[in-house]
Amino acid sequence: MKLLTKLTLFITLSKLVIVALFVALLPTLIGKIAFQYTNQYLREQQRKVLKVIEQNGIDYYLQGDNSYGSYTMLKEEYISLEPITHYKKIDTIETSERIIERDTLTYRVLSHTFTYNKHNYILEIGKTTATINQYNTPLQRIALYVLSALVILTLLIDLIFTRYLLRPLGLIIKSKLLNRKFPFKEVIPSVRTSTTDFKLLDESFIRLMDQIHETFEKEREFTANASHELMTPISILQTKIENLMLDSPVNEHMQSKFSEMMRTLNRLKKIVHSLLLISRIENEQFAKAETASSNTLINEVTEDLSHRMEEKGIQLSVNLSQNTTLRNINHTLLYQLFYNLINNAIRYNKPNGRIMINDGLDNGRYFITVSDTGVGIATEELDSIFNRFKKGKNTHNESYGLGLAIVKSIVTYHDLKLTVNSEINIGTTFKLVFPPAIS
Amino acid sequence: MKILIVEDERSLATEMESFLKKAFFLCDLAENGKQALEKIGVNEYDFILLDLGLPDIDGLTLLQEAKKYNTEAAYIILTARGNIEDRIKGLDLGADDYLPKPFSLLELQSRIHAISRRKFGVSDQLTPLGEFKIDLKKRLVLFGIDEIELSRKEFDLLSYLLLHKNRPLTRMQLSEHIWGNFADDDYDSNYIDATIKNIRKKLGAFAPTEWLETIRGVGYKIKYKQE
Repeated sequence: MKLLTKLTLFITLSKLVIVALFVALLPTLIGKIAFQYTNQYLREQQRKVLKVIEQNGIDYYLQGDNSYGSYTMLKEEYISLEPITHYKKIDTIETSERIIERDTLTYRVLSHTFTYNKHNYILEIGKTTATINQYNTPLQRIALYVLSALVILTLLIDLIFTRYLLRPLGLIIKSKLLNRKFPFKEVIPSVRTSTTDFKLLDESFIRLMDQIHETFEKEREFTANASHELMTPISILQTKIENLMLDSPVNEHMQSKFSEMMRTLNRLKKIVHSLLLISRIENEQFAKAETASSNTLINEVTEDLSHRMEEKGIQLSVNLSQNTTLRNINHTLLYQLFYNLINNAIRYNKPNGRIMINDGLDNGRYFITVSDTGVGIATEELDSIFNRFKKGKNTHNESYGLGLAIVKSIVTYHDLKLTVNSEINIGTTFKLVFPPAIS
Repeated sequence: MKILIVEDERSLATEMESFLKKAFFLCDLAENGKQALEKIGVNEYDFILLDLGLPDIDGLTLLQEAKKYNTEAAYIILTARGNIEDRIKGLDLGADDYLPKPFSLLELQSRIHAISRRKFGVSDQLTPLGEFKIDLKKRLVLFGIDEIELSRKEFDLLSYLLLHKNRPLTRMQLSEHIWGNFADDDYDSNYIDATIKNIRKKLGAFAPTEWLETIRGVGYKIKYKQE
């Protein structure tokens, strides 16, 4: 999940939870406040009544009667004043039910006993709880509306701000990480942001990629230069040996020694050639603007290799049903790619073995497979077969371990996908999947 | 035939010179572009072997300059620069052939011969070989009036041996000529042996082929007596 989505979800959910919690707790809170307020109100009333009695005497209320009682019109409040015989100190506020004119009502009742002119009285002041709770529901509703509106408003503000805040991060990811192809050749400008962390992140990425690019370039340059510089001394050696061989009289033993020297020199030459080729492919020195049909290409290679197959009695079956036209390719390189794969299939085959070349569509993508009935490659060696100078146990003496490294660089250069399946003593299959741009 | 070798690597230049002299070419050496232009200005050369990596002038520029003075000469570019673009550019500028370093002297000689045949019309019409006659231009092997059919590679191999007659050629040199400097490596392949066997079988049906000698541990040689 993206950071922005996560933040949005979190902000929304947390706000909703808080609002829900507040709205749910609202009646309790209001109830509490109302009760407190009522209690205070009842006390005030009590004080008022007592003050009136103190100033005007108890008869102000009793008016000669035994007791006094008064209700507001809707029975929301009442005051009663009664004499009591046994004095017991009471001073409470509690909720209790009272029957008033055949109506049972719940009141918050303040009871207070006091003595006036040696007579004991009990004063009760009540207020219905119905009035206390009557605002709960509308308050809750209004709170819900107001808070929802506030939540939506703050949410919008939050989202706009987070989006604005995180935009540089998105840009960094898009420009520095996604869709970037090794070896990071193109220079990408730094992302403009006032956030120090993002600035730091962006700069670090740029520095890191520059470093990778530089190291890679140096390596390529070295390979190219080294190979190039090696050509001249190899030329000199080769011509010298050739001249020595041609100088008579040289006996058979010497000739054979010279021949061996030339073989060694030739090995060196092939290694240097391969390195230079890989370096050129990686330097993108080959144009990819040619077109070839898969049939023609495979035919060219198999024809050139037919004598080797004949030598080992290898049967070749080519079954290309698609006859796809490959576009945007370098013909020489693709020829080299198939040459190396098929030559390997011959080299590591068993006498009288078979080589099968097939094609097909895999999820709409064109592929070609080269399979052999050869010695196979051990699972633990599969990962390293494309590495330069990695030699497998089964590797032939004549192989310098660069054939598949060349294959790999051609595959990468053309954006192909190459997979290998192999079983010891059963055979190996190389599968080459072409991207839509090529097939 | 007169050849100018333009090569700044002295050791390589002298080896080429000594080889070509043995093949009866007259050779001049130039170590840099300036020397080369001076020599081209006063001498007529049939061949100019041109190294592209010269210390003073870019080889391709030199080629353009040299062509002004000596349009008749055949130019072979020698270079360690293997860029296909360089190759195309060189040939576009009028070079006759292109040989990437490191190259075999034998290969150089066979290229020179091929150009001679093509460019200067020099063709040893029919080269006798034992009781056979070889038509290098038409790529034919004749026994009397019979044409003996050889495959392309078989003829290539035979004509290469014939061109370098009386010299032992290694299997590697032979296969490099046939296959070029290309691709993978497979010299233990007995392809050369198999092809030689085929040549002996095809020609042997008409007359003995003892002139085609096997040199143990090395390769093959055509023993050739000048008549």
